[in-house]
Amino acid sequence: MSKIELTVNGTKHTREVEDRTLLVDLLRDHLGLTGTHIGCDTSQCGCCTIHIDGRAIKSCTMLAAQAHGANIVTIEGMAQGEELHPVQQAFTDCHALQCGFCTPGMIMAVAALLKDNPNPTDEEIYHGLEGNLCRCTGYINIVKAVKQAAQTMK
Amino acid sequence: MPGQLHAAFLRSDHAHADIVSMNTAPALARPGVQAVFAGSDARAAGYVRFPLMSNFINRNGGAPIKSDRPVLAHGKVRFVGELVAMVVAKSASAAQDALDAIEIEYRDLPAAATINDALAKGAQPLHAGVPDNRSFIWEAGDADAVAHAFPGAAHVARIDVVSTRVVASPMEPRAYLVSYDAASDCYDFHTQAQGMAMLRWQLAQLTGLPEEKLRLHLYDVGGSFGQRSSAYPEHAALMMASKKLGRPVKWVSTRSEGFLSDAHGRGIQMSGQLALDKDGNFLAARYDFKCDMGAYLTPTGCSGHLRNVAACMTGVYKTPALYGDFSLVHTNAAPIAAYRGAGRPDIAYVVERLVDKAAADMNIDRAELRRRNFIPMTAFPYTSMTGGVYELSDFAGCLDKALKAADWAGFAHRRAAAARTGKLRGIGIGTVIEGTGLGRSPSDQIALEFDAQGKLTLCTATLSSGQSHETTFTQVVAQSLGVAHEFVGFCSSRRDNEILGNGSGGSRSMVGAGSVCQIASQKLIAQALPLAAEALEVEPSQIKFAHGVFNANEGGKSISLEALARRLAGTHPHPMNVLAESSVGSTYPNGCHIAEVEIDPETGVTQVASYFAADDCGVVINHSIVEGQVHGGVMQGAGQVFGEHAVYDRGSGQLLTGSFNDYYMPRAGLIPEIRMDEHPVPSTANVLGAKGVGESGCTASLPTLVSAVMDALRPLGVPELDMPLTPAKVWHAIQDAKAQQKVKAH
Repeated sequence: MSKIELTVNGTKHTREVEDRTLLVDLLRDHLGLTGTHIGCDTSQCGCCTIHIDGRAIKSCTMLAAQAHGANIVTIEGMAQGEELHPVQQAFTDCHALQCGFCTPGMIMAVAALLKDNPNPTDEEIYHGLEGNLCRCTGYINIVKAVKQAAQTMK
Repeated sequence: MPGQLHAAFLRSDHAHADIVSMNTAPALARPGVQAVFAGSDARAAGYVRFPLMSNFINRNGGAPIKSDRPVLAHGKVRFVGELVAMVVAKSASAAQDALDAIEIEYRDLPAAATINDALAKGAQPLHAGVPDNRSFIWEAGDADAVAHAFPGAAHVARIDVVSTRVVASPMEPRAYLVSYDAASDCYDFHTQAQGMAMLRWQLAQLTGLPEEKLRLHLYDVGGSFGQRSSAYPEHAALMMASKKLGRPVKWVSTRSEGFLSDAHGRGIQMSGQLALDKDGNFLAARYDFKCDMGAYLTPTGCSGHLRNVAACMTGVYKTPALYGDFSLVHTNAAPIAAYRGAGRPDIAYVVERLVDKAAADMNIDRAELRRRNFIPMTAFPYTSMTGGVYELSDFAGCLDKALKAADWAGFAHRRAAAARTGKLRGIGIGTVIEGTGLGRSPSDQIALEFDAQGKLTLCTATLSSGQSHETTFTQVVAQSLGVAHEFVGFCSSRRDNEILGNGSGGSRSMVGAGSVCQIASQKLIAQALPLAAEALEVEPSQIKFAHGVFNANEGGKSISLEALARRLAGTHPHPMNVLAESSVGSTYPNGCHIAEVEIDPETGVTQVASYFAADDCGVVINHSIVEGQVHGGVMQGAGQVFGEHAVYDRGSGQLLTGSFNDYYMPRAGLIPEIRMDEHPVPSTANVLGAKGVGESGCTASLPTLVSAVMDALRPLGVPELDMPLTPAKVWHAIQDAKAQQKVKAH
């Protein structure tokens, strides 16, 4: 068993978990933060994307123990009260989600992308979303939402 | 849930084998394990036969042969991924760990993972009752008329293509929780589905239990695309576990399990011949369809491959003689079910490729050949020789809109410009139609109910898996009632199942349940009118309803529908509550898509340079939602065109594309932009005039994108290629064509 201390969305947590526990399972099953989704088991789909110390990572590919001491933000930590994060707002405005299952991971990936590159070109957006799969939207409105979010975050 | 246990499944790693022996005792001894189940338990429960949503009879009076499929394999396994045993434990990891302890010995049988192998002489039958691996042979149309027409043809175009086997891959893996309640002898299911009625009926048929014993709790669904149209063995296996152990049992699929055992889609080998006169008029068409059904027939698989293919076998063309021959073939592969379009994209693909081939053979412009053979507007309703009854459509209008918007006439300049940069540019066209709107339930119901505060909720049996019913259904009601959109709440697929109707599927939700939203609203207004009269103290005949308000003809008195609802809110049930129902028939959305591609001959990589869609999906309720559906559909087609393919190893029957590492999925930028234009010809089959839009995108994009690639390659002498058009396949085709040319030059 491993004792994990970490900060998630500004709140400190301590949990004792099996050594093999994945970070995504810690978030979902132990902390009840089910907004982070699991869509595959090969780190391809990106549904589990979260931020650790400001970087987007796939939480299915990391042991909970590796996140000991980390500062984590999940989709639940993006809105400020009633006010959506600009990326969330852009996804809403642009009809950039249909079933919504990939959306939390997409939003976390896009927020990190725009942090690193506030004015991405189309090619840079495609490259930035390569690790996130969506089966519903054809990505067209997602790319629109990235551009809108980039504008509003300027 | 309190007391919840977790299931894990042992899946066959053999494609075709007898189970010689199995010892589950070591697994039972593992920590946390509560029970282990095997095929004998499934047999004892009687959970062995899935229903078919099919009423097809062939000319010999035969129906598709329903072979047994015990929910845990019994005696024999028939595909890699088939359930063999189930471990139930206190945690998911404990259940998973214990799977390794099950001792099992297989005796391999020859595996036939492809249609051709399964139909080869001497192939090992999968099922005792299906000696030639064909569970059904069926035909549509008139063989004699076609045979009569072909000898008089000036030209016969031929094509052999395969609509590849693909994996639906909704982003949310399957996840089920089943809880048996001994007091009521009922099962509670927390599961994904496309609708209440369809899944519940299947589970009742499978288990022999009355439907009222099966209580479904349905929530948001992370995509479906037909994959969730069927009941699965895991549903019934969890029922056995929960009943025996008296506790809720949960299972969450991994993606790897999903690749192996979620129902796959498409998988049709198609051969077509089109007879034309010297002017390019179609005289007759003949098709052969060999449908890969996988190891077992699924409830929705065979009806889609038969009905939807036959209904649109003539495409958008007047073809005086038409015939199609169908075989449903068992292979040692995952079962096939409905997948976005369910036969509609497949038939559009072969028809349109055949038309393109005829145009190339006869040197006629592809758009012109289509126009020459369109069913004219004067010919509707048009009954095809294979059973389609098309309602009024404007194929030429759609075509003209698309040709203009996509600048078909100016393509030569763009091709020349691309050639100057070393690229091969091609333009592709697809003019397609599909039958939508049918459902298994005889009608759709909508309830409009007011709560104790007078707040309105719309209740429907149809379940969204991303189609935005919560937006569009409430929009129809709000507009019909003249109230604010926010006034209308939404509730779908209620547990008590008071509301009947179809699930989503076949692009039918707006056509069916959506139409009933309008009918229910009108019923509500009629029912509320005397109540408004009472409130205003005038005769009902003196009241008129307009824009959400009941107005008295004289005296200036009025009351809004919302105010009336609040005023009457104390009574239960609320006197303005209504339940409306209606049944709707088939509608036929259609359209013309035009795409351009550029191929780099050095790498074989294809870029989609432009994509234009002119669609007649009838009256559009919400443009954003329609556009989103077309985007998603076009991209799913593009996935199949450029890479998606579920590949089984021929010898071993192992799935070679078993993860997102190996299975191509469309990613951002595959099609940078889709321009759309609506060309609505209102449907006369429902009150909204809607025609359905969920599947039209991929119905059109399969033929359109392949048409564009072939147009880019044809000048090099590349022969007809087939999906998936991967860079490797395209590059090799270009190299081969160049080598041929060199040989000719010498």
